[in-house]
Amino acid sequence: MASLLVRPETHPESRSLRAGPLAVVLAVALLAALTAAVARGSTSIPPGEVWSVVWRRLSGEAPRPGTNDLIVWQLRLPRALLAALVGAGLGLVGTAVQALVRNPLADPYLLGISNGASLGAVAAIVLGLGAGGALGLGLSGAAFVGALATFALVWAIARRGGGFAPLRLVLAGVAIGQFLSGFTSYLVLQAGDEQQTHSVLFWLMGSLSGASWPLLAVPAVAVPAAWLCLQARARALNALLMGDETAAGLGVDVTRLRRELFTVTSVLTGVLVAVSGAIAFVALMVPHVCRLVVGGDHRRLLPLSALFGAVLLVVVDIVCRTAMDTQELPVGVVTSLLGAPALLYLLDRRLGSDS
Amino acid sequence: MRIDIENLHVAYAGRTVVAGARLMAAEGEITGLVGPNGSGKSTLLRTVYRHLRPTAGRVLLAGTDLRELTPVQSARHVAALPQERGSDFELSVREVVAMGRTPYKRAFAGEDAIDRDIVARALADVGMAGHAGRRFTALSGGERQRVLLARAFAQNPDVLVLDEPTNHLDIRHQVELLALLRLQRRTTLVSLHDLNAAASVCDRLHVLHGGAVVASGPPREVLTPGLMAEVFGVRAAVIDHPLTGDPLIAFDHRAPAEAELTEAVETGV
Repeated sequence: MASLLVRPETHPESRSLRAGPLAVVLAVALLAALTAAVARGSTSIPPGEVWSVVWRRLSGEAPRPGTNDLIVWQLRLPRALLAALVGAGLGLVGTAVQALVRNPLADPYLLGISNGASLGAVAAIVLGLGAGGALGLGLSGAAFVGALATFALVWAIARRGGGFAPLRLVLAGVAIGQFLSGFTSYLVLQAGDEQQTHSVLFWLMGSLSGASWPLLAVPAVAVPAAWLCLQARARALNALLMGDETAAGLGVDVTRLRRELFTVTSVLTGVLVAVSGAIAFVALMVPHVCRLVVGGDHRRLLPLSALFGAVLLVVVDIVCRTAMDTQELPVGVVTSLLGAPALLYLLDRRLGSDS
Repeated sequence: MRIDIENLHVAYAGRTVVAGARLMAAEGEITGLVGPNGSGKSTLLRTVYRHLRPTAGRVLLAGTDLRELTPVQSARHVAALPQERGSDFELSVREVVAMGRTPYKRAFAGEDAIDRDIVARALADVGMAGHAGRRFTALSGGERQRVLLARAFAQNPDVLVLDEPTNHLDIRHQVELLALLRLQRRTTLVSLHDLNAAASVCDRLHVLHGGAVVASGPPREVLTPGLMAEVFGVRAAVIDHPLTGDPLIAFDHRAPAEAELTEAVETGV
């Protein structure tokens, strides 16, 4: 009976053949999603007009005066691109953390880094550092510092046992993360006025509303750089999945690899949280879904997770902006509401296939 | 390539587990490592495939200290089959075996025809050629172990290091795996729990006890009733195997050796 329940065992040839076309499909989907993201909103702009505005700007022609240029170039395009960058970054971070702690259900929250970034940002809002520009540089800086401080703390605790045993890393991360969330909650309660509390909560649930061209600069460098770093180590990441000893036997310097992975993960998480708040579930779910489709080989998994994460977050942000007439939804609300059922569905399928 | 281990000391989790071990694995021979639990077998093997670093002493690969080689360089000569079972990350059998090519590939390099050929041959060598597309975690214990062995073959190693490769396998799969090793005739260093398996398969045995090698030589010379009592604390007779003529150790499962009993009584354990 059991054999009837086993998922059809796909051939890897078909999986790796699947990865190429899938990447093309996702790239096209990303372009379409970006166009839709810029076209849709309180003022609808035809897709052709979107592209013509972008083309004029990129080719250096003088922009046609009017509101369309303002809406497309100054408001919606930076936001759509930020969504794509953050989504791609979350896909990469999730893939890296899952290999780092050898657990396919891990994300940066598990290492406490997202919590640290959140605490930094909330402290900035409550202490008034972010005042003035609602999501100004003070806030992003504080989130980044929070992420790196947590990274240093978790690192110091995890390495005391020698090496970076995955379980130790997770335990240290979860403990520190919980501690920091407690602190964050305390600060939220201490927040002086309703406006502050609102902006803190909004930020904690993730938001891309602070997007602007200058804000794009850091993630536009950090996300591709992190991808290259990880892609160069794709084979070592594969080896790490089998275990530390196996990886060592294959010539991988495991302690160094973990150090590098942890550093890349923390810096990238810090950058992402700094520009978009703490967006739940994307980092956990995206690599997991991609793995089910193209298998666990990181040479395929990393680029596809980045692409899928980008498409997903651009689409989610469209929903956030347009679902309600009166106000925007935080990104994290939508990712959680969509992500949790999707994850349960996947887990259910897995349990069925493994029994 | 031969392996020489000289005066090896290894500390693990703050405790010295291997203390002054000395042994040799000759070219083309199967060298067995036996000893009770905690005698340091796995720890010693981990220094050979460079998961652990010796605190003192040396591991020599054809006369060269392993520490003079980078991890990648030594992984081109020494392939390991540790006791790890791997986790569920949706890897196919083929992908697991292809990992064996890791020490030969630069960053960003894809697989070429040579890699694919080596992987296919390794799978054929372990009799898993028809299973390349299956999910690794969907395999039975015996199949998994053979796939992991194929991964080690794909590493094109001069020396194979195996830590208890027959653990958790039923007797049929144990026999298959050991027969496969004998067929390969590679320089092999293998730890085994089953003394009878070690006696039939290995050309030479080293007995570890308390982190040091206390006896070395061909199985028939090493596995004596005296050593069984002293090192393993059991009563045993060594007879000839009626089918193969190999030494066959017949244990007395009713009571441990006298020495162990009196020791236990004296120390109150």
